[in-house]
Amino acid sequence: MKSKGYVKHYILMLLPGYIWVAVFCIFPMFGIVIAFQDFNPSKGMLGSEWIGLGTFRYMFELEDTKQIFFNTLFIACMKIIGNLLVPLIFALMLNELRIMILKRTIQTIVYLPHFLSWVILGGIILDIFSYDGPVNQILSVFGLKEPILFFAKPEIFPFFVAGSDVWKEFGFNTIIYLAALTGINPALYEAAAIDGAGRFRGLWHITLPGIRTTAVLLAVLSLGKILNAGFDQVFNLYNPLVYSTGDIIDTWVYRVGLLDLQYELATAVGLLKSVVGLIMITISYGLAYKLTNYRIF
Amino acid sequence: MVRDTTIGSRLFDAALIVILCVITISCILPIWYTFCLSLSSKSAAAAGLVWLWPVDFNTGSYRQIMSDTQFFRSFWISIQRVVLGGLLNFIVVALTAFPLSRSPREFRQRNALMWILVFTMLFNGGLIPLYLTVKSLGLINNIWALVLTEGAHGLVFNVILTVNFFRNLPKELEEAALVDGAGPWRILTQLFVPLSVPVLATVTLFSIVSHWNEFLYGLIFATREEFYPLQTYIQQLVIVFNPNIINEEQMKMMAELSNRTLNAAKIFIAMIPVLIVYPFLQRYFIHGITLGSVKE
Amino acid sequence: MVKKGIGILLAALFVFLSACTGVNDNNDSKQENAEPPDSGPSETVATNENETEKNYDPFGKYDELVTMTTGQCINQAHQDSLPEGDTPDNNVYTRAVEKDLNIKTPSYWTVACTNLDQKVSLAIASNDLPDAMKVNKVQLRKMVEAGQLEEMTEAVKYASPFIKSAWESTGGAAIESATFDGKVMAIPGVSSAESSLHNMWIRKDWLDRLGLELPRTLEDLENVARAFVEQDPDGNGAADTIGIIGTDVNDELYPTFLEGTEKGLGSIFYALNSYPGYWIKGPDGQATYGSIMPETKEALALLRDWYSKGLIDPQLGIRNDANEPIIAGKAGIFFQSLWAGYTPLTDAWKKDPTANWQSYALPLDANGRWNQTVNSTTVEYLVVKKGFKHPEAAMKLVNYRLQYGDYYEFEHGVETGNMPLRMEVNLRNQMTEIANLIERVFVKGEPKEILDVDFEPALYDQDYDYYLQVKKKPYDQYDIQYWNLDDMVKFPRIYLRVVGGRALQDPARNDVSSLIYEQTPTMTERWANLMKLEFETFYKIIMGVSPLDSFDQLVESWKKQGGDQITSEVRELVK
Repeated sequence: MKSKGYVKHYILMLLPGYIWVAVFCIFPMFGIVIAFQDFNPSKGMLGSEWIGLGTFRYMFELEDTKQIFFNTLFIACMKIIGNLLVPLIFALMLNELRIMILKRTIQTIVYLPHFLSWVILGGIILDIFSYDGPVNQILSVFGLKEPILFFAKPEIFPFFVAGSDVWKEFGFNTIIYLAALTGINPALYEAAAIDGAGRFRGLWHITLPGIRTTAVLLAVLSLGKILNAGFDQVFNLYNPLVYSTGDIIDTWVYRVGLLDLQYELATAVGLLKSVVGLIMITISYGLAYKLTNYRIF
Repeated sequence: MVRDTTIGSRLFDAALIVILCVITISCILPIWYTFCLSLSSKSAAAAGLVWLWPVDFNTGSYRQIMSDTQFFRSFWISIQRVVLGGLLNFIVVALTAFPLSRSPREFRQRNALMWILVFTMLFNGGLIPLYLTVKSLGLINNIWALVLTEGAHGLVFNVILTVNFFRNLPKELEEAALVDGAGPWRILTQLFVPLSVPVLATVTLFSIVSHWNEFLYGLIFATREEFYPLQTYIQQLVIVFNPNIINEEQMKMMAELSNRTLNAAKIFIAMIPVLIVYPFLQRYFIHGITLGSVKE
Repeated sequence: MVKKGIGILLAALFVFLSACTGVNDNNDSKQENAEPPDSGPSETVATNENETEKNYDPFGKYDELVTMTTGQCINQAHQDSLPEGDTPDNNVYTRAVEKDLNIKTPSYWTVACTNLDQKVSLAIASNDLPDAMKVNKVQLRKMVEAGQLEEMTEAVKYASPFIKSAWESTGGAAIESATFDGKVMAIPGVSSAESSLHNMWIRKDWLDRLGLELPRTLEDLENVARAFVEQDPDGNGAADTIGIIGTDVNDELYPTFLEGTEKGLGSIFYALNSYPGYWIKGPDGQATYGSIMPETKEALALLRDWYSKGLIDPQLGIRNDANEPIIAGKAGIFFQSLWAGYTPLTDAWKKDPTANWQSYALPLDANGRWNQTVNSTTVEYLVVKKGFKHPEAAMKLVNYRLQYGDYYEFEHGVETGNMPLRMEVNLRNQMTEIANLIERVFVKGEPKEILDVDFEPALYDQDYDYYLQVKKKPYDQYDIQYWNLDDMVKFPRIYLRVVGGRALQDPARNDVSSLIYEQTPTMTERWANLMKLEFETFYKIIMGVSPLDSFDQLVESWKKQGGDQITSEVRELVK
């Protein structure tokens, strides 16, 4: 391979992107020190007193810490799994559709919920599952005697959160899979058909492996956000009755932060999330490499 | 693609269509609901009477929006932002993904550079240092503040997707080009980019959508409403009740401005450009690409 | 929509929050702050201690132009109402201020009032401050700690007589709340107590139709609520009416000493002498937290009983929007301040102009008193950045606005949203006074002149005429048929003053204050969690999810998780 001399060119190509990221992402990153300080805005980052891990200690000492971490992880895991499987299955289903117009229309429409904010969607979901809302009405037709107070039940709240998020975002993720699906060489399918393979065999042996790397990539990236269970959504859906399963790290920080502008705490939590995310990505990157012999990045 | 046309296959197709349609309808309902709200009367909306069709039909909200100059100003700012952001994203992603898609043998620093990007995606210093950075660059109230900050956020994800795609392109194509004497720039622009239309279209779409939807930076980096992009402008129309400031001015304001139908109309209008752009870009990632230039 | 919107913004702020200020970023403000080399002769720099010799003219004009940049919260509709060429920075009002006081107030930034907290927090954390802005208690404390503020001890001496009387009507609490280490660090506003008094609003037409008396005691209330639920008061043949509306997801069960609520079931607790969320004197005379006292358990038992009987909205605390059933005409009773006249009742009347919503000082406790908790006297503070040479300019602006603001609003059509640095300074019992004056003039026939008061100039100028427009005779009848609902801007304003105000004048009224309105050190760490525990437990008890005795467990947990510590801190403070 005689392309070693091109390194200069590669560096040149990378310059715009890296400078951009350096100025707007890396440079502001130094704000992380706040998590270790007793921050005083007028003294700033450079002048505020260093207190080390005090904020972190405080965070872990509160009784609820275990609960909110568990809730966060549970909801986030369900979302990760849902957001990987559902778009994939949907993309595969859509790919099987022959009628182009229908395919394009469906694809456009399912992307739409992505645009609605949780302020609106939260309200809609609360109304749909309300005491006298459509769901209860339909259920009463099927013989339900007493309407269900869906949002008073902590047991099902995390499923509402995960489910509604998957519903909202699957259109977005489907696009990625569809793009990957187009990269599969059609000749492979023809060859398989000639060999007598039916559609399911085609699916299993050609389609899935073809998008395997994309799926793994998305899985690894989403693991990096494992402690992000979705503030906007939970905040607009929860109520005191479901705190035990619905209170997540971010909603907790919001309530604590509201009473006393605790910048240190918010930063500490952000840092914690990032560190855990980095660990998760590293582990899953390694696993992906071992299992599929493919380096995600 | 050859398809068998057995009964089982046909049934399967039919079931598929039904399932897909049900899911699709569920996705469109909230949009439809918002649309119906926007055409209802204010008190009917406030009474929660609107479900699947407008109640007390009236187009007052849309009329009001059409006469609201700030709405159009913000609309225009968002358009600018999206175009600039989309273009910048497209160019920088292609430029950045190419070298990173080279193998470590060819480009030794590649792994380290890649992990640096992943790192920036994960670690975040927060809003305040970002604000100060933007301020010190003199970009307050400037469209570039919005383009560069939000763009930086989406960049890494887009680059990773594109790198992945580039790496899956057949090596033979590249080797053929090298044999022809092409340098990296030509390989990138004349070979990879045209071949990567699906992923680049996807990435551009993501950039467009994230720029269009973003509202927080619009609020932070502007000192005056004139500089707000559309979503920021819309967001601030939702009057939020502050339980600590209960006084006549606030209560009166809430009663006057808390207008679900107006908000629904604004939200709906804000969705329209994406509804137009999206099908247009769609064909780039539904249609396949032909790899006919090199025989296997 | 209570906290949803704030939530998103503050969430973004607090979840991603961090700060990095290396230098005092004063460049911008230096440019705009055209400081005169020295103050004019009307501002004698007092070097002697004898205050009476200094001229504290509340409206004293500066010799040289004083420019003060502001962090301004604007209101879209008000801005739109300005004539061509005018802005919130430059309109009839601001030009008058410049002419009369020689103060200019260009805005450093403007933001919708709904996002004010966000902008202020950002300004504080990044140390990028305008010369003056409005902050809340928490922000004030943060700024004082950070040393970002100019001392206002002298500046507040420039307050106008009305403002001074308003501060006095709080018994000194207002100034006290702005004082740190003996120094006054901000100009405090004054909230009227009435904003926290939750009247009982009830559909009197339903009572009439069902032949019921006005419920005075809790027992009466129970019977009426039951009738509202079971006897089809809206006459549509369907059992779709709700007795008592409580709260929705955005609101809280009852107000606390730190936060008010829009609606809530507080009135029912108070009728049993339970004051959850407040610090009151316990049976041993010591400061005790109301939520853990035995009376609260009693109140919870009652509410639990009522809920199980279906008298309270089944979706208590879960409902998306508690205003909806009220507006739709499906609810019979709710508890809210007189401001309910604006939201939700304006929409309710638009939907059904015959909905006879009346408000009363009910229910009464066993001693015939109407107990209500009151809010902190001050929630807003005007602060001035450290180093600004004329802090008293801020005081003069407040003086001017309270004196002449109404004139510019009604004579020149300048809406309040276009007046910089406006603060709420009311008498503690402002609305009660107003209600009383209106009654005296229209019902008792006293002369119109008594309406000419300095705390509400609009009363004499505007409200008198509005009243005549919206009220039909006889004036001592308050049912809905004696009102003219044609003008849905003027009508609610007068209605809430008269009908809402009637409850405030009731002799049975008994205001209960909290012993403290501040947070103690341990509170800043633990209170959020304790409140979470409290509300979660109480909702579960009321809605029948947990047994009543889980109250006792709550009390134990509360004490162990910081409650005892906090209680002793409070007792120290209150001594």
